Amino acid sequence: MAASVRLLLRLSHRNINVAAAGGSARPGCCWGPTGPSSCRCFSDATGDRSTHFGFETVPETEKAKRVYKVFENVAQKYDVMNDAMSLGIHRVWKDMLLRAMHPQPGVRLLDVAGGTGDIAFRFLEYVQSQQERQKRRAARSTQTPSWQDISTNYSTEDEDGPQESKAVVCDINKEMLKVGKQKADSMGISAAGLSWVVGDAEELPFDDDQFDIYTIAFGIRNVTHIDQALQEALRVLKPGGRFMCLEFSKVTNPVLARLYDTYSFQMIPVLGEVIAGDWKSYQYLVESIRKFPDQEEFKGMIEDAGFYCVHYHNLTGGVVALHSGFKL
Amino acid sequence: MAALLRGLRAGRALRGLGSVVAAPTATKPQCSSLRRGFHRAAQRLQDESKSDKPPSSSSSSSSTTYHEHYQAHSAHQDTATASQEHSASDPASEEASGPNTSYQDQGGEQGEEYETEEQLQARILTSALEFVPQHGWSLEAIAAGAETLGLSSASTGMFNNGAGDLVLHFIADCNSQLTEILAEQHKQVQLGQAEPKKTADFLRDAVETRLRMHIPYIESWPQAMSILLLPHNIPDSLKHLSTLVDDIWYYAGDRSTDMNWYTKRAALTGIYNTTELVMVQDSSPDFQDTWNFLDNRIQDVVNMATTAKQVQSTGEAVVQGLMGAAVTLKNLTGINQRR
Repeated sequence: MAASVRLLLRLSHRNINVAAAGGSARPGCCWGPTGPSSCRCFSDATGDRSTHFGFETVPETEKAKRVYKVFENVAQKYDVMNDAMSLGIHRVWKDMLLRAMHPQPGVRLLDVAGGTGDIAFRFLEYVQSQQERQKRRAARSTQTPSWQDISTNYSTEDEDGPQESKAVVCDINKEMLKVGKQKADSMGISAAGLSWVVGDAEELPFDDDQFDIYTIAFGIRNVTHIDQALQEALRVLKPGGRFMCLEFSKVTNPVLARLYDTYSFQMIPVLGEVIAGDWKSYQYLVESIRKFPDQEEFKGMIEDAGFYCVHYHNLTGGVVALHSGFKL
Repeated sequence: MAALLRGLRAGRALRGLGSVVAAPTATKPQCSSLRRGFHRAAQRLQDESKSDKPPSSSSSSSSTTYHEHYQAHSAHQDTATASQEHSASDPASEEASGPNTSYQDQGGEQGEEYETEEQLQARILTSALEFVPQHGWSLEAIAAGAETLGLSSASTGMFNNGAGDLVLHFIADCNSQLTEILAEQHKQVQLGQAEPKKTADFLRDAVETRLRMHIPYIESWPQAMSILLLPHNIPDSLKHLSTLVDDIWYYAGDRSTDMNWYTKRAALTGIYNTTELVMVQDSSPDFQDTWNFLDNRIQDVVNMATTAKQVQSTGEAVVQGLMGAAVTLKNLTGINQRR
């Protein structure tokens, strides 16, 4: 009883703040973000479920549709906007994700909300360079190969070797996947080992125990039910598999936080309007970052879903956090 | 009741509720759920070591302490909880011998989980050791080891230190094996079944036993040594070395509390390290050159100890002689006369 009263107060508090912040471009940070779980509990009591869409409150069923619209609109200019907004640092973040992943040859990657395929491309390049290094090492150790060896090497050069690494890019949005496929073709990445699948992170179209690594980069904050997405991740991972999530998070340094907030709310929607012609989508972007739980809370959610050895690293002072957990 | 428990355990999302719901049903909820947890862990550990399905809990031949604990306690429980345990143990064994080796679904027993995580890491590293001759001390060996346990090679991400973790695990393993052997010998001596060895012989045998554990990996041992010398690994490797040397001296009977404690351990550290280096480039049959080198170094240390004692006693004798000569001179020249 007391719990429901507490949640009632929190929700009404938020409604008041939304009304107050509706006018200004820069909302107050005085109240902390309440996760979707609290409003879900409250809504269960009343019968209809609502969640946050940026700083708005929308019914849960509508959130998925609106997110779909957002990404449909920005798909063509997505990569350009990423570079402009983060000043190219998003490439460093994704490279650091790959370095932390350190994939062994032969692993299968599932990149959810992978959209334009950044992570999948980097993964394939990494594994390829690893295999080349191994081949070079093997060649160095057998300095004088017999003619038999040379002939077998020539014949197997087209294959990736006995273990092939595969990457599957899964996204709910067809437009983003289209852009990704075009990028793959233009970059000349071989279609072998790369698949593009349309799917919902809360209900993945894959069997259990399929993938070695599950990554979701800058996508999980757009999911309506984050815990469902985490449970799906647990389901499709093999035992020993790794869950890795790259997501915007809370900046720890207060000075940096101020700068970051100013930049987010003043610069980014403007850039969105100028480059992509879409102010609202980028307003949603920066608001959804503020609504996402902070590092420790998200770590707790990952542990609740059933992952072990959950750790996180802050990148760029907490602007981005890399969470990692294992299915053991 | 048992069905309800089974249903609860099957729901991963209801982990936290497991202990809460069990409270009104059992007399000792925490203990019984913990024991069930330990039992499940014991069952799973059994499954890992044996490939065939374990028989019912009471007749299994496991010797894990958790399992014995469970047996002892189940005998003391009242019939209600005992029957509950037994009915609960069947679904547990069914789950444990299921197709996956996952450690999920713990019903909220956090204490058991942390143990199992480290144990799992230790098991992965132990199984990685057999791939060291092929891949060297590296993440590939750990990945291969994880795969033999049925885990994906992505689980190597758990080891932040990579190859360093593997080498340090191996060293810790060897050290604990040596300590067990020395303790066993010590017990034998105390029971009067064996003769106590002289210090020099004891040291030689201990160092030889310890270094022989490197023989299966001697090809790649230089790589392991260089990994241990990396700056972030030096504190750990020094810690292992110092505990090793301390253990050997302790079982050799050293109870000194003065400067000797330091000099003895420093001497043995020097002997151990130099012998290890000789062993790495030794190509004689059964490393005979290495053991000869070891003998010589220990003999050197022993000689130096006796020489030091001799020098000290000679020094004292010389000083006494000089004092006597001085007194005689003083007498002769008459300085010593009393006026």
